[in-house]
Amino acid sequence: MGKKKSAFLLALYTLLIALLCFICVASFNYGENGMYTFSSILDLTKKDADLGAEYGANATYNGGGYSAVYYPEGVISAETYENELAGIADEAERAKYEAKYRAYQGGTLYLEVETACDEEGAVLESFASAFASAKEMFAARVARLNVDGARVSVRDDYTVEVFLPAMMENEYYALSRLVFTGELSIRYGTSEDAATDAFSIKRGETVADYVKSVSSAAGGGTHYLAVHFTDAGREAIAKATASAGSTDSESGTSTTNYLYFYVGDTAILSLTIGEPVADDLYISGSYTGETANVTAILLDSAIQGGTNDLSFTAGDALQIPAGYGENALMWLYISYGVVFVAMMAFFFVRYRALAFAQLYTYLLFTACTLLCVWAIPFLYLSVETYVAFLFTSLMLSAGNAMTFEAARKEYALGKTYASSVKTGYKKCLWKLIDLHIVVVVFAFLVYAIALPGIQTAAFVMGLTAVFSGLGVLLFNRFTWAMMAALSKKSGKLGNFKREEIEDE
Amino acid sequence: MNKRSKLFAVWLAVSAAVIIAGIVLFALLGFNTSPDRMAGKTVDIRYNIVVELSDAHKETLRSASENAFAANGVSYEEALTLEGQADPTSNTQTSFYPTGNDFTLRYVFEESVSAEALQAAADDIRTAVAEAQFESGAEVSVSVHTLAAERFSEPLWRAAVGIAVGVVVALVYTGIRFGIGCALTGLTAAVHDVLLTLAFFAVTRVPVYAFAPWLYAAIAAAASLCLWLVRCMKLREQAKDPALSALSAGEAVGETCRTTDKAVLALAGAALGILAVCAACLFAGGGAIVLAGALVPVAAAAYSAMLFAPALHTRVKAGFDKVNAKRTRHPSAKARKRGE
Repeated sequence: MGKKKSAFLLALYTLLIALLCFICVASFNYGENGMYTFSSILDLTKKDADLGAEYGANATYNGGGYSAVYYPEGVISAETYENELAGIADEAERAKYEAKYRAYQGGTLYLEVETACDEEGAVLESFASAFASAKEMFAARVARLNVDGARVSVRDDYTVEVFLPAMMENEYYALSRLVFTGELSIRYGTSEDAATDAFSIKRGETVADYVKSVSSAAGGGTHYLAVHFTDAGREAIAKATASAGSTDSESGTSTTNYLYFYVGDTAILSLTIGEPVADDLYISGSYTGETANVTAILLDSAIQGGTNDLSFTAGDALQIPAGYGENALMWLYISYGVVFVAMMAFFFVRYRALAFAQLYTYLLFTACTLLCVWAIPFLYLSVETYVAFLFTSLMLSAGNAMTFEAARKEYALGKTYASSVKTGYKKCLWKLIDLHIVVVVFAFLVYAIALPGIQTAAFVMGLTAVFSGLGVLLFNRFTWAMMAALSKKSGKLGNFKREEIEDE
Repeated sequence: MNKRSKLFAVWLAVSAAVIIAGIVLFALLGFNTSPDRMAGKTVDIRYNIVVELSDAHKETLRSASENAFAANGVSYEEALTLEGQADPTSNTQTSFYPTGNDFTLRYVFEESVSAEALQAAADDIRTAVAEAQFESGAEVSVSVHTLAAERFSEPLWRAAVGIAVGVVVALVYTGIRFGIGCALTGLTAAVHDVLLTLAFFAVTRVPVYAFAPWLYAAIAAAASLCLWLVRCMKLREQAKDPALSALSAGEAVGETCRTTDKAVLALAGAALGILAVCAACLFAGGGAIVLAGALVPVAAAAYSAMLFAPALHTRVKAGFDKVNAKRTRHPSAKARKRGE
């Protein structure tokens, strides 16, 4: 490579890396009165429920999550009880209200007599078992979300606390929808009030005899729900919706018909039906991947629901800071800085100016990793993904050091600089390929089988192992070649020395 | 036979003792997942007022709470300042937003802390708040809660299956590239390292998050694969070198170890150093536990790559060499035909 060409390419490469570093880490306000904000990739990257800190141009808190408490019918919080009681002026009404509830666990909760407890305040067995099955259902729903950090807890024996990480795009939607309990029913009619059960479920049957499952899927950039009917369900829905799209022969007008999906007494979604439904239903709308998944989970679990299920109300929502402390993310960045400085110090001491080849490759590797973690929807920053990144960044650094050492050995034997680099790379090639293939295969298989967060870490490990392989075998070689072309004494570039042979 | 190969029985005994003890203790007690706080108690002090709560009053609430806990002989694990959010009741709203008039102080306690003591502390806080001069209209509610989290088991068993499948397939590749002997030793070493890591946490009862043992298992497997691969590469180089290919199994493994020990130690040392630095940086938060725990699988993989795997491979290689020699002396009918 000629000197001018090398200098030009190196300058271009330097600019590219500087630009990548800038967009990855710099956040600032600009415009009149700082009206606009430029957010860095690092700022925009999702963080799991365990990492968080106040940072970015506007120092907003990133990380952690939200929790909400689900209260079953017949159970209210002490705060609600006291507020409602304080709002009743009439003495007789107050006494009536007081008689309606019994304090539970020293007044943490108030249970409604006959719904949740008896006159003495003892919890009814029927209520306790209904609550236990509702709790199982909530846990199953949240588990099916497959979100790292999502959690379901029983609070004070008879309420359910659900925690979802803030990295979800639709955590409010999830918390507000997953609370609905009861049986799935599909109703058909010209309005919500006039709609009747589409299946006309007979005694001894349940909706499960008509609806097999509800799932979510994506195709062509659109997320949708798929409602799968049994044979009986397909027949029943075709019969029920036979009038859809027909025109009144006398007036010549057509009526709009709707299909309503209920969970318990709550209408979850309504569809305009233009023609009879003869097969499985595919419902698209303004769904995102998350909202489609939440709705599918809700409707699918409601197939197993019953008319006697306890109904719940959501309340007491709080923002919970990150699990590893409020500034864990900042300390994570600092740890990266320390490791980076130590690694570069080693390379500069041992390889002098050649360490710039490692610096360029490493920065490119880091920037590409960050861009991917930001751009790939299911990836996010967590301690697990950070460990995976550290693992492959060690592979990259060790790989580069290995090629440098191999070239150094060849140079010491008396070969020319170019020949040493070439032979050094040739000797390391299959070793590096084998190492990277083994890690990539292992990581992607773990990704394919595991669930978040090991899954996310495994994907990051596989992806960055690919970057590491490309970095060592391609980009490091490229930078080295450009730098060698610019160097006056090539041997000095990597602190390479000839082997001294003593004359007899 | 080199020294570390001669001591194979020692390495085997040490590993077996730790692994068996780990399996027994895991079956009896499981891992110590106390950092996950699967069960615990909280005291929530919620201040609700339409005007913003001044810092002085926030401080009053804090000091009143801490005095009350001290007076009742209870100590908390964590103190959190939480912001009240819009309750998720709307079907049209899409995201949370701070209500702006809710300020909650949450004190988190261990499950073993007496509920009576916490109720007494809550009463003391109420008294202290009543005595303090807060804005009119301010409402302070103090409540004691017990929490019991549900455990999701699917992510854990799927992680275990994923790691097992990943290791086996990666070693199939190793078998194709470096021979069945290397793959068998690698597989044994990876399983050994994973079990040793998990056993360490089961025996020592070091606190870990519920997901962490499987993360450590994955690190152990990946580190074990990489370090063993370094040995495999040298073994293959030796096999190709006419001067070294005639060495006995013990000598060949000894020679491989002599030339690759430095690389293995450098890699394992660098990994341990990086993790130690990161754990030290995250010392203030819970992240330190996760990263400090990750030192164990790397150390297990280093032990295995330095001592256990070479000693094991001496025997495996000797066995394969014996079979190969037998085949050369007594070639099969098929091989004879090929030779003719």
